[in-house]
Amino acid sequence: MSLQVIINGIATGSIYALIATGFALIFNVLKFSNFSHGATMTAAAFIAYFLVSSKGMGLLPTLLIAALAGALISLFGEFVGFRRILKNHSAPTYFFVSSITLGTLYEGLVTIKAGSNFFNFPSFFKTPTVNVAALVVSTGDLMMFGISAVALIVLAYVIQKTRLGRALRAVSFDRDTAQLMGIDSTRIIQLAFVISGILAGIAGVFLGIKYTLYPTLGSLVVKGFIASVIGGLGSLTGAVIGALLLGILETILLAALGSGYSTIAVFAVMLVFLLIRPQGIAGSNVQEKA
Amino acid sequence: MNALVSNVLTQVSITLIAVSGIYVLTGLTGMFSLGQAAFMAIGSYVSGLLVIRAHVPFVLAALLAVAGATLIGYVIGYPVVRLRRDYISLVTLGFGEAIAALLNRMTTLTGGASGLTGIPRLVGLPLAFISAVLAIALAAFFKTSKYGRQCIALKGDELAAKAMGINVTRVKMIAFLLSVALTSYSGVLYAFYMSYVDPTGFGWKKSADWVIMVFFGGVNSLTGSTLGAFILSALPQVLRGLQNYRYVIYAVLVLLILNFKPSGLLGEWELTPRNIQQAFAKLGKKNTAKKEG
Amino acid sequence: MALLEVKNIYKSFGGVKAIQNFSIEANAGEIHGIIGPNGAGKTTIFNTISGVYTADQGTVVLDGKDITKLEQYKITRLGMGRTFQNIRLFKGLTVEENVMCAFDPQSRYSIVGGLLPTPKRRAEEKRGRELCEKYLTVVGMQDYLHERPENLSYGMQRRIEIARALMCEPKILLLDEPAAGLNPTEVAELTELIQRISKEIGFGILLIEHRLELVMSISDKIHVQNFGETIAVGTPDEVQHNPEVIEAYLGKEE
Repeated sequence: MSLQVIINGIATGSIYALIATGFALIFNVLKFSNFSHGATMTAAAFIAYFLVSSKGMGLLPTLLIAALAGALISLFGEFVGFRRILKNHSAPTYFFVSSITLGTLYEGLVTIKAGSNFFNFPSFFKTPTVNVAALVVSTGDLMMFGISAVALIVLAYVIQKTRLGRALRAVSFDRDTAQLMGIDSTRIIQLAFVISGILAGIAGVFLGIKYTLYPTLGSLVVKGFIASVIGGLGSLTGAVIGALLLGILETILLAALGSGYSTIAVFAVMLVFLLIRPQGIAGSNVQEKA
Repeated sequence: MNALVSNVLTQVSITLIAVSGIYVLTGLTGMFSLGQAAFMAIGSYVSGLLVIRAHVPFVLAALLAVAGATLIGYVIGYPVVRLRRDYISLVTLGFGEAIAALLNRMTTLTGGASGLTGIPRLVGLPLAFISAVLAIALAAFFKTSKYGRQCIALKGDELAAKAMGINVTRVKMIAFLLSVALTSYSGVLYAFYMSYVDPTGFGWKKSADWVIMVFFGGVNSLTGSTLGAFILSALPQVLRGLQNYRYVIYAVLVLLILNFKPSGLLGEWELTPRNIQQAFAKLGKKNTAKKEG
Repeated sequence: MALLEVKNIYKSFGGVKAIQNFSIEANAGEIHGIIGPNGAGKTTIFNTISGVYTADQGTVVLDGKDITKLEQYKITRLGMGRTFQNIRLFKGLTVEENVMCAFDPQSRYSIVGGLLPTPKRRAEEKRGRELCEKYLTVVGMQDYLHERPENLSYGMQRRIEIARALMCEPKILLLDEPAAGLNPTEVAELTELIQRISKEIGFGILLIEHRLELVMSISDKIHVQNFGETIAVGTPDEVQHNPEVIEAYLGKEE
């Protein structure tokens, strides 16, 4: 296994890390898996494509618009999909259905606009690859890795060091108590959705650059979910580690087995992993409330 | 009967079988499978291939396909039924995508993306309809059995269920396998009705579709789930011109229901002789009240 | 050897020592009260004995069988019934179905009977319903078979929970604050009920309760817990005059 494979794996893994952390944030505050995350990625990437890239503007405006679109879509989802359910104290199963339904809605809207066609982001770089020592790295990969790393570091800073981050952690730990302590948990939940949406938007564009843009692109969110499961549901650090491991593993398997079988192999690895260490790498085993 | 009507009814019947499986899984135990359509795919492909390639008789092929899917269901379910319920959704979603990739990839065996053709058309409306009735009857018997009660108990409170001696892991597994068996059987019927299957129809959206139908009609009522499935699966067949808008219309309807009537169209109401009597009694009372008033 | 023998169990959560060196022996027909201020680790004792948690140290033996590390549902099946502090009846099921749930794990029909109305299934369901009626009659709730528990009063829900626990055919019954939220009349009825079932059916009862008048009047022996430790054991009369107990309840006199 060459260093080259590992580097490619880390590049892929960094996109998965964006997806997995965005997913884990919502899992933390609402304690459920947000299945609309994939469609949010796709929708945000499409909006950025039609508004910005297709008009010849560069990568940075595309990412900004995608992030903004992701945040808005996510906020909309919080409002129509989750707020009333939370207020009604309905069973957590309703969050599932709600998120699945939102996912269907976004994907449906994208399909109406885009049909089932494929779209290509313009090539944002003049030179497709750069040489680092003896290795050839695609400029795209390098850039995605760089931006993902920056985004995750900013996120870590916000969560660990700022007032808002502390409030977010408090709400994640215990919503009711946080509310009693004077934290406006509705605002904080909205904040989590906004951050999650921003991450989804960026990840969507990256996936679009890597694999072309199509309405069911969002199903790649599965990679983020798998990374989350490996990392430990609800743990942000675990999600990042899980994502990088998954990226590397997948690149190796892809080289060895080809695309169809590697998907199955990755899945089998996850099943075995769950058998051996169900709490994930981070080890914070989230049990359903006793 | 008009061919269009017969076609719609056959497809609706096949969907009803899958949805009765979703009701058992989601309605009774509160677990969500987002890879359920993959089990339908397994049912379709295994039975189709057995008949085309190995010349196995249809009935045997159907049995083998259902048994095979159930076995795979056991392997998938084993690590996850003991974990938090999120895991089964995440893992089955991954499974669905993996199966889709595999079907696309194994071109020589499955025909890849261009699909599996040449499956004899052995299924018509009568078989599909009778199967749907039987599937719903099985789900109804299951619901009122000790298994159904234990499912509902653990859906509400796993800890209390364990404290009553309920083997939560086992009961969840049984419900999961029953739903897998029903869904894979619907796949068999689908393949031998359409005489052609390709991987695109078995993605997570199909599984999501079924869950949505169940919630639309009422997740706590088999009658409601069936009604929901009937309405939502017949609707797009009737509104053929609006194909692209179909999912959007669905989604909006369901979001409205979730926000304003979370228990679905029928709530917990079931179509049982006793409930019908009560409904009529109520109606009678209202009428007499009106007359008197 | 006693029916239930709990020997020197410990349980910690992170740094919190919820139970330290707790022991108890109980026999059929006896009622043991466990009292102590909030946070004394009383419910944790129940959760550890009944298998929700596994003890860090120590052993739990029920009727000669070591159940320390067994899964919760297996412990129940070996003869441990319980009720919960904050009533935990199953939503979506009627009173009868709630009680039936505790019969179902013992019900002897297979998955075939789960899908089809076989004679075996009908016979077993009938046996179950008869037992339901029997236990619901014991607690005086036989007229509410088809009601939903959430539509009934708190006191009635408590009784249904006890009937459900009886259906587990327990050798040891754990009652976690059964009088919480009840009015004085209901408390009196409950006291009578607990004494009656303890005598008639004949199992050992462990009782966590805040209402001292209830515990003191019916317990054979009382364990006083404070901050995870047992500070006194004895007859109601003995513990009532124990200075440490008085201090824990009333605070130190200056």
